[in-house]
Amino acid sequence: MTLISSLAIIAFAALIHASFQLSVSVLTLMSGHAIGKRTAHSRLLRLVTGFTVGVGVMTMLLVTFTAYLAANVFGVHLPMVLWALVCGVLVGVGISVWRFYYRPGRGTTLWVPRTVALHLNERSKATKRSAEAFGLGLSTVTGEILFVAAPIIVSALVLIQLSPMWQLVGILLYTIISLSPLLIVSALIGSGHKLSHIQRWRETNKHFLQFAAGSGLLVLGAYVYVEQVITVTVTAAGGR
Amino acid sequence: MNAATTQLQTGKAIDIVKRAGKRPTESFVPQKLHASIRAACLSVRTPDGEADMTAWAVTDAVIVWLETRPEVTSDDLRRVASRHLNVYHPEAAYFYEQHRTII
Repeated sequence: MTLISSLAIIAFAALIHASFQLSVSVLTLMSGHAIGKRTAHSRLLRLVTGFTVGVGVMTMLLVTFTAYLAANVFGVHLPMVLWALVCGVLVGVGISVWRFYYRPGRGTTLWVPRTVALHLNERSKATKRSAEAFGLGLSTVTGEILFVAAPIIVSALVLIQLSPMWQLVGILLYTIISLSPLLIVSALIGSGHKLSHIQRWRETNKHFLQFAAGSGLLVLGAYVYVEQVITVTVTAAGGR
Repeated sequence: MNAATTQLQTGKAIDIVKRAGKRPTESFVPQKLHASIRAACLSVRTPDGEADMTAWAVTDAVIVWLETRPEVTSDDLRRVASRHLNVYHPEAAYFYEQHRTII
């Protein structure tokens, strides 16, 4: 796998991660509660920043931990069966996202366990300090782990084949791209946009985001399968 | 506090069934409804005074609706409040409705 190809896979996986909506939902809810309680703008910005940093740190930790685990278990040369398995997971999660990501009905209710959703809902209401917002950001990423695990795993497997310096670049690239919707929403909230406009946009475009995320996972699964399974098999057969 | 609110406070108590009976039933407290509607108005950057007035107007309208009912669910209350809020402030009504369906 070339460096460009590796970075492209990481960037695309991060883009898929970015299209998942739980962190944006929690940020919208937390900001709504804070603005509704007449929280000062500077404190609102600290809460939003704390939350965004929390999401970023947890994303970075998950990618790093998965890469570390994979490197220790399999080493740098990953078995082909592992790539095939990961491709299967990508396709499976992609189809699940198409089918299940949003619950039917109005709003942007996600198919995350209701206990997790209730917990995040109540924590977003109770969050008053930036340290709490940071913790909320950390737990939000774990709340969506069923969906974000697939892009994180494929990125981690690609990362461990890079040199240490490019591994750092890859981790940063993944984190920044996956944070991009949060950064945009944070900027909108900070500049005084109405939360109702942000939520209306999200509700109007939810099926498109769902379709994009599901399709992205299928495309990524197919690409990785061709590059890591079919190409390697054909090359090995040709060399005999 | 407006006349309708005072009248309800001196009259009968109305039970609110929370989350389809999964949480304990509570008595209706107009101030609580007012606070939630005010918060929804403030969330969409409505000025303080306007948010307060809108919240009282909606609370009064909901109290009139409640007069003939001994028991309502929190979902009913939210739906009726949202319908009245939509008359005064559609943006806030949208955010108020969406509150439970964001996550």
